Amino acid sequence: MSRSAVGIILRAEWRAWRNRIAKANPLRVVGLVVFALLGGTVFGGFLFALAAAAGHLLPSARDAMLAGAFTALSVLMLVVGFPSVIATYFAGRDLMQLVLAPVRSIEIFLARSLFAMSANLLVAVVFLIFVAGVGAGSGASPLYYLLALALVFVQVLLVTALQATFMAAVLRWVPARIARDVAVAVASIAGGGLYLAWNLTLRQTLGSFAPRHQPDLSSLVSSLQRIEWVPSSWPGHALSAVIEGNASAALVWTGVTLVFAIVVVGAAALLYERTLLAGLGLLGGVPSRWRTRRRKPPRVAAAGAGSPGFAIARKDWIAYRRDIRRLSRFLPAMIFLLAYAVLLIRPGRGIDLFWNDVFVVAFVSLFMSMMFATTAIPAERRGYQLLRLAPVTSWQLIRAKVLFTLVPVLALTGVISLGLSLAGGNSPWKTLQVALLAVWLGVGCVCIGVSAGAIDPNFESADDRRSVGIVGTFAAMGGELAFGLFSVGALALFYLAASLAAGNAVAGLPVAATPAFAVASVVIAVALAAAGASVVVLMLWLANSHLRGFENSIVSN
Amino acid sequence: MSQTPHAVEARHLVKGYGVVRAVQDVSFQVPRGEIFGFLGANGAGKTTTLRMLCGLIRPTAGTALIDGFDVFAQPMEAKARLGYLDEEPFIHPHLTGREFLDYIADLYRMPRGPERHRRMERLLGLFELADRDGELVGAYSHGMKQKIGLASLLIREPSVLLLDEPTNGLDPRSARLVKDLLEELATRGTTVLLSTHILEVAQALCRRIAIMDRGHLVATGTMEELRTQAGSAQATLEDLFLRLTAGPESSELIERLLAPQP
Ligand SMILES: Nc1ncnc2c1ncn2[C@@H]1O[C@H](COP(=O)(O)OP(=O)(O)OP(=O)(O)O)[C@@H](O)[C@H]1O
Ligand SMILES: [Mg+2]
Repeated sequence: MSRSAVGIILRAEWRAWRNRIAKANPLRVVGLVVFALLGGTVFGGFLFALAAAAGHLLPSARDAMLAGAFTALSVLMLVVGFPSVIATYFAGRDLMQLVLAPVRSIEIFLARSLFAMSANLLVAVVFLIFVAGVGAGSGASPLYYLLALALVFVQVLLVTALQATFMAAVLRWVPARIARDVAVAVASIAGGGLYLAWNLTLRQTLGSFAPRHQPDLSSLVSSLQRIEWVPSSWPGHALSAVIEGNASAALVWTGVTLVFAIVVVGAAALLYERTLLAGLGLLGGVPSRWRTRRRKPPRVAAAGAGSPGFAIARKDWIAYRRDIRRLSRFLPAMIFLLAYAVLLIRPGRGIDLFWNDVFVVAFVSLFMSMMFATTAIPAERRGYQLLRLAPVTSWQLIRAKVLFTLVPVLALTGVISLGLSLAGGNSPWKTLQVALLAVWLGVGCVCIGVSAGAIDPNFESADDRRSVGIVGTFAAMGGELAFGLFSVGALALFYLAASLAAGNAVAGLPVAATPAFAVASVVIAVALAAAGASVVVLMLWLANSHLRGFENSIVSN
Repeated sequence: MSQTPHAVEARHLVKGYGVVRAVQDVSFQVPRGEIFGFLGANGAGKTTTLRMLCGLIRPTAGTALIDGFDVFAQPMEAKARLGYLDEEPFIHPHLTGREFLDYIADLYRMPRGPERHRRMERLLGLFELADRDGELVGAYSHGMKQKIGLASLLIREPSVLLLDEPTNGLDPRSARLVKDLLEELATRGTTVLLSTHILEVAQALCRRIAIMDRGHLVATGTMEELRTQAGSAQATLEDLFLRLTAGPESSELIERLLAPQP
């Protein structure tokens, strides 16, 4: 072969990507680039400044911060990355074509690795900014930045390879009958478990704030006794050693990181070679048989006309349980969420944890609706054309999706807010408030999420995560954040009003405890709540009008 | 407008994709109970025309009427009467065949109950899908997907069927079944528009045939009318097709392909 297969594959991917950009609306592309640059500069600058300040002011916490940042990066990639690892390594018709061609599996693995890493590399840029900020704050040498760049790349490669190894190992050693389920379980436990480990690490290191022991070979032993043996923290230790000018420790930590990476990548490549075909069969498409109970007596008792709304909900419920990529994306996130909520539950110590609870409920609502609601309509995939053919209005579709998504979101926020209240010993009145807030936020966020997905759907995408375009993702995040801030702000103002009316001024606020100020803050609170509601209405309206005028080329597959 | 509108009417349909003119000024009418065939080379615009008729893509210009209802102005009325089968049927891969048919029936608000159930079982039996219980539609073979797509149309007895290459990928027995079925439906008043590349299917089934070439309707009529138009009473449909859709002779092309390279 005159040219390497890896190069040929990558060139084809690059061309496809370029053609997609060329076909897109140029105004939209320019707008997105400008938005990304502006947002990136503001956000990146803020993050950099924060990290620099922290690195400067808290020299003793540098090591913990760097280790924490690298672990956070790994956790994030582990949690969100499994579906794309499955998609890039084990699914897709283009992969079939590569298998047919005279290309070695190792070449497919290498070419696909770059592809699989592309999304994670974007995430990694954020961490690179943070790491650079810590370096700037600590007055690190140029070597620090070079090493940071290299180590972040290695970390991304490592996590991607680790995921591929997990999947390949499952495919290799678990009987095919249960391999799909085990794969999902592995994906969830890997992300969730490491997340918990990370949290414990942070609590130990940040909690003690003791000056770091000298990180050299002897400290490796003492480190083993802590939870910091988590490999994802090693590059962090290497970088902090560079800051301290401890060359030997830096070499050791970099060395162990590299060795670990080589081992994992090697294992992934070897295993992949043996499992590519099995994986294609098992994860590449729809399972051929679904375990259904032996033909139960047909359910014919139901009478009355069929209802499109319920039909859509029933179909989504069935498909959710059978779609491995969706499950592998959804379960780790759930574990992540639950772990987060559990960590925030603190036994009441007489302090009022009401605002803590409000924050958790808001976060859970936002998270859950990003998870479920945004993809609700794009997840119809090609089946969306069936809805366009049927006498079903786009408004009926939006309503069905909102109602169906509300059920799990409200159930989970309900459980979490109740759990928080019980553990925190809130009064029934406060508990009721938190529950009402959960309902308000849940309904609003789900409406916004479903609408955002409808505004920018990509029905041809095989992967849920690419099924919502960038505009839709930003619309969902922006809309939900705005709605959440308006709502929580309104609640806070109601509290302020109550306190002012009772004659208690709030320290640090330039408002007197007079009825006039109380009335004013109630008025502003109502206005904020109305603003939140109008965000929801606007999004729903946009979604409906967009779906009604929707026309997109129907590509097969 | 006449008392009873045509089952299907295309009025000056045009569809452009940027510079590509996929369909240019296509007009025709199909009366109730007729089987109407679309022929044309690859890329001639058959699929585009059918998709405009069923409301999936909006014409750049022109109107599509189903039973007198404008597909875009009165979509609910038109869609309730219409069944469309795509070249690659739209399905939900994670449902079983039964679940899929149930879903479609619900979308069209068919009454639930034993009547619907019996109909579903009959259709599954007819297309030999009944014993595929527990198998997901996404894992069906190409022909089976085609069959479940057809079944999902027939379960609701639409009065107009738009079928894009319905026999594509079917085994001979199933293809025969579909042909017989369409004929029987037509005698009961269902209107069928189908596109096909199999001239024998068109000749056997269709009362009238339309031939498309590069976005234009180059001929419409019964076999006799097409023959008169082409000026030869003995011509087969294949002759007519080749004559009406321009292109170099295939023997010439093959010679060029296999000629030794200089
Ligand atoms: N989404 C699209 N974007 C751009 N061009 C398109 C699109 N869809 C179809 N076309 C073009 O429109 C023309 C007609 O396509 P169409 O699918 O209607 O042909 P067809 O007659 O159904 O062909 P076949 O027999 O191969 O199914 C082709 O030139 C095609 O390239
Ligand atoms: Mg076609």
